[in-house]
Amino acid sequence: MSGDNGRFATGVPGLDAILGGGVFDGGIYIIQGAPGAGKTILGNQICFAQAAQGRNALYITLLAESHARMIGHMRRMTFFDEAAIPDRMSYVGAFKTLEDDGLRGLLDVVRREVRTRKASILVLDGLITVHEKARSELELKKFIHELQTQAAFSNCTMFLLTSAFDADAHPPEHTMVDGLIELQTSLHGRRAERSLQVHKLRGTWFMGGKHSYRITDGGHAIYPRVEALLETPSVWDSADGPMVSVGIAGVDKMLGGGVDTHSVTVVLGPSGSGKTTAGLQFLTGGAADEKAMLFGFHENPMALRIKAESLKLPLKARGDKIMLMWRPQTEAVLDEVATELLSSIKQNGVRRLVIDGIEGFSKLTDEKERIGSFLSALCNELRALGVTTLATAETDHAGITPGQPLKGVNQTGLSAVAENIIALHLAALRSENHRLMTILKSRDRRTDMRMRRFEIIDGGIVLDADFQSAERILRDISSQGPQPTPSTDLKLTGE
Amino acid sequence: MRTVLIVEDEWAIADWLEVLLSENAFNVLVAGNGREALDILHRDTPDLVLTDFMMPFLDGAGLIAAMRQEERLRSIPVVVMTSLLEHVVRDRAGRFRAYLRKPFREVDLMKVIGEIFPGEA
Repeated sequence: MSGDNGRFATGVPGLDAILGGGVFDGGIYIIQGAPGAGKTILGNQICFAQAAQGRNALYITLLAESHARMIGHMRRMTFFDEAAIPDRMSYVGAFKTLEDDGLRGLLDVVRREVRTRKASILVLDGLITVHEKARSELELKKFIHELQTQAAFSNCTMFLLTSAFDADAHPPEHTMVDGLIELQTSLHGRRAERSLQVHKLRGTWFMGGKHSYRITDGGHAIYPRVEALLETPSVWDSADGPMVSVGIAGVDKMLGGGVDTHSVTVVLGPSGSGKTTAGLQFLTGGAADEKAMLFGFHENPMALRIKAESLKLPLKARGDKIMLMWRPQTEAVLDEVATELLSSIKQNGVRRLVIDGIEGFSKLTDEKERIGSFLSALCNELRALGVTTLATAETDHAGITPGQPLKGVNQTGLSAVAENIIALHLAALRSENHRLMTILKSRDRRTDMRMRRFEIIDGGIVLDADFQSAERILRDISSQGPQPTPSTDLKLTGE
Repeated sequence: MRTVLIVEDEWAIADWLEVLLSENAFNVLVAGNGREALDILHRDTPDLVLTDFMMPFLDGAGLIAAMRQEERLRSIPVVVMTSLLEHVVRDRAGRFRAYLRKPFREVDLMKVIGEIFPGEA
């Protein structure tokens, strides 16, 4: 329904956030995209959303698919409401009128139908046909101008759908309308990704750049770029309160009592070093009634439950207080996954979160330069939502280089994300692999940064009481001679 | 030769029906909406009206209501062809001879016409 400021929400998930709140009553907007981009679905979705609010919507087609086929396709969409047709949602064809009577005839159809049907939303599907029918640029401009006048005087918001798009061209109608929304599909390798971009929106701020979308049974689901949507967190971060245990007594002690509430801690380490175990201990280490969630890209919930059971961690005992959310990196979209994660956290009141494999986010997009700011925005939002987070990140089997124990561990980009960074190592000494742990960073805290050897036994990770054993291992490694230079492929920025 | 008036705002459907019915030995008149149909009905008296329901200027319900007002047109059988549900159309248009749910096949249309003009379609 129309708001006090003369604008209304389209009702399309994600679109209104990008449009800065919605579109204006009596405004005129172009939606353009190649065939298959979903213009018709978007047009119908907007109409049915408004019809559901009690407004009347009108869908006029020119050279488009037949109404019967269109309605047949829309019936599969959850937004479709058979009862809305024909009183609150109606379809009429106007190609013959355009063919016989030209642009003036089409204007006559629009004027009359909007008035007769008391339509406050109009979709005109096939603007390109009007373009082709216009005898001159001036005639097309006059058509758009008259349509604008009709839209304003009848308080009917109009969406003009067109497949015409030439990135270098600037059709005259683009300069005249109130908004221009483009739907695009681009290929990344063999994967197709859809994106929406608002090029122009008069009278209001809007979120520029490209935003991913999907077409689902519910119609368009648009995911504003997380770093744009959460440029500033959605709520003010009021982090205070007691320190939070990470679920590993020895680490809490090294950190001077635990981590700050609402903070982000990253645990780095190679495969097999104990990162997921640390995550499970953090997950189960909170109060019995605290809502906790593990979000991961790799191990599915069943594998995690088995792992927790074998470690004798009380995952099962905590019942529905602990949620496991698994998102394989198959065809997922970066902003979609982040949106799902944040929604689930809000809905369930999660206060303790494990992100198992934070580098998984970077595998969801080819735009690697986004990842630094994406993670920064995501982590800021988690803090603002009152969530204390532990994220694991996989490094190469870097080993331990004498004199340079952390060489090869790429921390670039992590400082902006995490208050605390803990590194796990696998150190090979003759035939034995030893697990070692270091705290690399702990913001504003007196921290014991000396390395510790640790074991994984029933109950999870247990650290040696002091650094002596770790030092002995490092000394013995040093006497073995030079080690190969370690490397890592961990990249949390686009560098 | 029987005359059929097609009332359809979607030109492609109107064209298809015109060709189909012409091939089946009907004389065909075509209107793009209810208002154009009434113009034709003021000068011609077809044997059958095949009409869409949602159209500009005058919809199917308006056309049927207007035909009922005139003695000469009242007895012309009307077939409503639409993607709307039958009860939705009947609630708004009252009585009419037959209902065809779009999209329909050629055989469905000829069956309905055959029932209206037995032995002719």
